[in-house]
Amino acid sequence: MKEKVLSIPTAFGAPLELYKNSWGKDGETLAIVSGLQGDHLNGMYLSSRLALFLDSVVEGIANYTLKGRVISFPVVNLNAVQSGSKLWPYDDMDMDLAFPGNPNGETSEALASAIYTHTADSYWSLILQSAPPHYEDAPHIQTLKLDGRIKKLCRDLQIETVLKLNATPKVGLFHQMHARDIVTVTLSAGSPRTLNIQQCDTLFQGIVNFMVAEKILKDKRKLPHAENTNSKFYEASDEVSISASTAGMFLKEVRVGTTVQSGQKIGEIRDLYSGKRLEEITATADGFLVTLRQYPIVYEKEPIATILTQKKSWREYLPWST
Amino acid sequence: MLSRCILSVKTPVGPPIEIIRHTFSAPLPKPAQRVSLVAGLHGDELEGLYICHRLIETLKKLEEQDALKGEVHIYPAVNPQALETGTRLWPFFSVDINRTFGQTHTPSLPGETSKILLEDLKSNSDLVVDIHSSNLHLMELPQIRIIKNFEKKLVPLAKFCNVDLIWVHPHAEIFESTLGYNLNQAKIPTLVIETGICLRINKNYCEQIVLGILNLLRQTGTIDSSEPEEEIREPKMVQPEYVAMVQAGNAGLFIKQAEVGQMVTEGEKIGDLIDPVGGQVLEEIRSPRSGLLFTLREHPLTSKGAPVARIATEEPA
Repeated sequence: MKEKVLSIPTAFGAPLELYKNSWGKDGETLAIVSGLQGDHLNGMYLSSRLALFLDSVVEGIANYTLKGRVISFPVVNLNAVQSGSKLWPYDDMDMDLAFPGNPNGETSEALASAIYTHTADSYWSLILQSAPPHYEDAPHIQTLKLDGRIKKLCRDLQIETVLKLNATPKVGLFHQMHARDIVTVTLSAGSPRTLNIQQCDTLFQGIVNFMVAEKILKDKRKLPHAENTNSKFYEASDEVSISASTAGMFLKEVRVGTTVQSGQKIGEIRDLYSGKRLEEITATADGFLVTLRQYPIVYEKEPIATILTQKKSWREYLPWST
Repeated sequence: MLSRCILSVKTPVGPPIEIIRHTFSAPLPKPAQRVSLVAGLHGDELEGLYICHRLIETLKKLEEQDALKGEVHIYPAVNPQALETGTRLWPFFSVDINRTFGQTHTPSLPGETSKILLEDLKSNSDLVVDIHSSNLHLMELPQIRIIKNFEKKLVPLAKFCNVDLIWVHPHAEIFESTLGYNLNQAKIPTLVIETGICLRINKNYCEQIVLGILNLLRQTGTIDSSEPEEEIREPKMVQPEYVAMVQAGNAGLFIKQAEVGQMVTEGEKIGDLIDPVGGQVLEEIRSPRSGLLFTLREHPLTSKGAPVARIATEEPA
């Protein structure tokens, strides 16, 4: 069901309207939020795809029955989406720095407050985002905690890479969800202003699997339970950032989401005038390439890639280990 | 004056991005007091640049007169690319650099820049003044804003600065990523000045602040000068409960009928909010209390809930 939860008058036309989708009435609630940034298209597409799927479940034409409750907010920063940008140019405000918001405040604050209020009774929440501007993320989970509930959520989502962040802004939705003890992760994939259907498919399957595992959905087909992914949990200290030591045009030679070896070439930076190679960018550690520069123009000192390295367990240092 | 580049970043096509620190120093082995002035964190806030320009002029003269007893550092343009484009945000990244301080963030050039600036200020300052204009929407009377937790230390210093108003306000989490908050947390007293409006220079307000900063330098023993000869004004002290905020109840165009700095009485008309399409007046904006009008909406395009005015009241608002 699509329900209008907020209507804000505008000076020149129809009011700005925030919508919530909801399915089911009973059970614990899963909240899905996307479109905090106006150019994070993967999340908005994924939300719309989930809406189509859950509508078909409710209509009885899918192989599932709904046992729990799901709510989603496919687009939050409505004005930024309309202007085709990350932020709404009128206030240049990062929507994800506006939480918990203010119902009597300006547009961004009022929208944030509506999201905050309508997700209050959720048990789980998923925030869908893309990489920061100029980068591409491999599909991965970001979390602030790694307790049993979060680990189970990550395994059920069947996304192999899980990164525990040290901190996120206190005025961001992610932090506010955690502060309310809502089991929350951020699913990040792709680049701003780009739609990557393949990455969205991966996340879609993961979310459906999670809903089945948590009995929000019941699979009518009585298929054998699929093996959960063996998630790899990384700490912020496992991140290795590789930065440019010069400026120019970065030409990548690897794909995000692959494993790289220390010394492997990631790409090179060329001079815009002469075309000459200024710098070869190589991996400085073995690991999983979780983030890669997508926009080619780079400044000196800018990060080009982030590799997640897994520390060896102490057992691997034992003489008889292989 | 000694100039030093604290950050230089090569750019893909042109001259590097550089953050410059100018230093005026006493010819003493250990200067008495080190004061830093920062401007241009937001690239559309130009008044701080003009204030720094005027101070550099004056400090050059004071240096020649051996009137410097401490050290003054001026960082006149700390967000060069945003300043060149006249935008609040660093345009290449769409990032507000004054929301990147002190965070444990993923690596980025804005994050690295704010880290270098913060560290440079920490290691060179006993006192910092961070100069801002308002955003595109509001005109502000020259004022210093102080988070309640830092009130005791900062109010006596703020009183030297020749501002019309010192507004002590409660802490909010959004401040935790600002330069001012992080310096104050690091026990370096930092005054945040707000004056005028972005993309404009109000010369009178700027001269008022220049006078105030020179007085601050004199009072803290950083300069030994008879300047300023003009009288420094006593600021109005405003506690949180003495601020009445007026917000728009509708969306429309705000047509002001008052000026910032004016004393208003309860019920006095401040302006009209009009429907630009339908032709009617949606709302008469009136002052809810008597007091000093220290913030007034300048950008006519107004959304519902947007601040229109702030009034420093005589009684709790």
